[in-house]
Amino acid sequence: MRRAAFFGIAIALVAAAPWLLHTPYWRGILVICAMNVLLALSLNLVMGYTGQLNLGQSAFFGIGAYVSTILVKTYHWNFWLASLAAVAFAGVVGLALAAFAVRLRGHYLAIASLGFAVITYQVLVNWEKVTEGVRGIYGILPPVGSTVGLFYLIAGIGVLVYWLMDNLVRSPVGDTLRAIREDEVSAASLGVRSYVWKAFAFSIGAGVAGLAGVFYPGFVGTLVPDAFNIVESFTMLAMVIVGGMGTMIGPVVGAVVLTFLPELLRGFGELRLMVYGIALTLVVLFMPGGIVQLVKRK
Amino acid sequence: MLSANNISKSFGGVRAVRNVSLSVPEKSVCALIGPNGAGKSTMLNLLSGVYQPDAGTLTFGGTSMTGLPAYARVRLGIARTFQKIRLFKQLSLLENVLAGFHIHQDTPFWKYLVVGDTGRFREEARELLAFVGLGARAADRAGALPYGQQRMLEIARALATRPKLFMLDEPAAGLNPAEVDFLLQRLVDIAKRGTTLLVVEHNMDLVMNVAQRVFVLDHGEPLFEGTPREVQANPRVIEAYLGGEFAA
Amino acid sequence: MSDLAALVVQQGLNGVYLGCLYVMVALGLTLIYGVLNQINFAHADFVTVGAFTAFFAVTRLATKVLGLPEAAGYLLSLVLALGVGALLGLAINAAVFAPLRERGDELRPLIATIGVSVLLENAQLALFGPIPYQFDSPFGQHTFHIGRIFFTGQSVLVIGVSALSIGALYAFMRFSFWGKALRAVAQDRETAGLMGINPGLLIGLTIVIASALAGMAGALLGPVLVLTPFAGATVVVKAFAIVIIGGFGNMQGTIIAGILVGIIEAFTVQYLGSGLIDLVVFVLLLVMLVLRPTGIIAERKEENV
Repeated sequence: MRRAAFFGIAIALVAAAPWLLHTPYWRGILVICAMNVLLALSLNLVMGYTGQLNLGQSAFFGIGAYVSTILVKTYHWNFWLASLAAVAFAGVVGLALAAFAVRLRGHYLAIASLGFAVITYQVLVNWEKVTEGVRGIYGILPPVGSTVGLFYLIAGIGVLVYWLMDNLVRSPVGDTLRAIREDEVSAASLGVRSYVWKAFAFSIGAGVAGLAGVFYPGFVGTLVPDAFNIVESFTMLAMVIVGGMGTMIGPVVGAVVLTFLPELLRGFGELRLMVYGIALTLVVLFMPGGIVQLVKRK
Repeated sequence: MLSANNISKSFGGVRAVRNVSLSVPEKSVCALIGPNGAGKSTMLNLLSGVYQPDAGTLTFGGTSMTGLPAYARVRLGIARTFQKIRLFKQLSLLENVLAGFHIHQDTPFWKYLVVGDTGRFREEARELLAFVGLGARAADRAGALPYGQQRMLEIARALATRPKLFMLDEPAAGLNPAEVDFLLQRLVDIAKRGTTLLVVEHNMDLVMNVAQRVFVLDHGEPLFEGTPREVQANPRVIEAYLGGEFAA
Repeated sequence: MSDLAALVVQQGLNGVYLGCLYVMVALGLTLIYGVLNQINFAHADFVTVGAFTAFFAVTRLATKVLGLPEAAGYLLSLVLALGVGALLGLAINAAVFAPLRERGDELRPLIATIGVSVLLENAQLALFGPIPYQFDSPFGQHTFHIGRIFFTGQSVLVIGVSALSIGALYAFMRFSFWGKALRAVAQDRETAGLMGINPGLLIGLTIVIASALAGMAGALLGPVLVLTPFAGATVVVKAFAIVIIGGFGNMQGTIIAGILVGIIEAFTVQYLGSGLIDLVVFVLLLVMLVLRPTGIIAERKEENV
């Protein structure tokens, strides 16, 4: 029953948000927030529940954006089909990355995933025949005309993804993932084939990041590779950790806080971007459970 | 039931185990003993699949097990505990035991996405916790338990896999006499239910009281094999443990 | 000398020049890992800070304030960058590595250094803006040649300073008391502590040395880099690639790997163009990680259960 109440409140908040923040500017921020929530959720499964430090999510975000846009603009696919294809493609690439990644531990995995993100970025920049490189692709239309509509679309998908992931995490699958996070060797002694599950988590994470990606170009109108460099990966990392790694609500909280906080600090000029770095460092040092941990104490 | 033939394993030039053969009959209780550094834990790791042998073969229930990775042996019916306790510290006791039912989960995947937790093995998990005396603390964090109880939790979790052969690596280490007694009773109960046991142990009381067959290792090689009585009386065993001063 | 031979030697030399720069960056990383088993993600940002320090030292401080000739100004900037790097190292050790040392958590310090990296980048963004800064080393103006091979003063300086630094570091590690104590701590921290060595002090010393190297590397790299606050990001993955290829914590391996990467880059620029160099290096990195995660000079470790 508590869960039903929770989702009820969530849906109510989502429905009300564009009317509480009703200027075009803030509604745009809401769209970004919804995308950030999806991105944070995508990283959460791999990092929070399976315990792998994955810095490559920016690549899948970019893959989702570029594959869907190219399919629509160059090959005249329908947006929804193109998005489906883009998400599937991102998931497959995620599986391929996992083929490397699952053998690696801690530091190595972090660097390999980072390397993958950089390679993908370089491909986006240099494969100009297909991606137009830094010149960019212009005149991209969003799937839904109004900003409010776009927000409802993305946020709605976000709620759905959250619900599915939450179920998954509460199920024996979640037990398995957390077992892998806590101690792989004893998980193996219980019959867990850890590399299969890690690859699974990676793949889902990649797909969801790709899903966030398909909405990005339409919202901004143009598509350049710069939005998908490794700084994005760090931003997602900050959202998951500041919100509270290892819980479902944590990344959502982190995404919301880190989307709105820089906006509220606009008065400080460029310094407001330091919020990400400061928040991440402070949380890791003093509050490893994130904001969620803070709330739980009370 | 379990048969190891001429197993050898080296680590970077150091021979941990050499030409060890042993055979654990079905539904028996066996013990693997030896002085420190004898290779007992290594042997257990080889049997459970954490290490792969350099030479030799392993069979279980008639089928070959050599080369099979650790996670696959669990489905054959082998479970184990570790000398250095490896619990899922951040998870609750119940969650730890639930994780043990992994190989028995047969719900179709889509159901997990849509329904989430079916609560399938919850009852059985609670029963296992009660069996090891931890029923009241099911919701506590595993890392918060005192050492002796952590050990029992590890046993409960391993039992969740419903093993045919249960191997324990020095389960009595670090336990006080009352806890050792409790452990002994549990092992007797487990054996009574038809599970085969192989216990690596230092604690002679435990071994003498529960084992039917004892294998002795020394410096990675097999030294002796027999009933507890025979082992206790064997001069070479005594010499290995005491360094030859009191040999008959 | 034939045309081809001259070209190959020239590019080889350029490669060594580039390689020395990379080695200077990567050496600090590998040092920290060797002693602490930790990765400092902010390391590359220390390089950027060093480069900016050099920029301001050369263009403002030395010439306008102190009235020094440009060459001296550049040399001064090297020293300053060394100092700035050392200070940053001190700060990050005090703030991140020392407090988290006891917990034994592998990943938390790494994530904290990511936070510091983001912080440094955005701080510099706020201070300096996103537009690339450009400055030339006065040594870059002089060229001279031996036969058909050309050098610039800068390349000589870089190779010279790098060789000197590496030599000094090596001598320090091998022959001085502190150096030996450092190696002891790297091998077995507890025992070293029991023998009267203060591991905390030594670890701090290592980080300071590593970061100072990074700062100076930044000053040396300054004229060659596209100097924005995010310059560190372009260097960081290459530096990691070098450290992994050479083997984490392995000084000789890192040096070899660094020079190798420099040479590869020098040759591929000629034939493939600059955009693809990064790709080549990173693919190499991933291949290394799959085949030999412990590096070229490998050591095997089985997990103790």
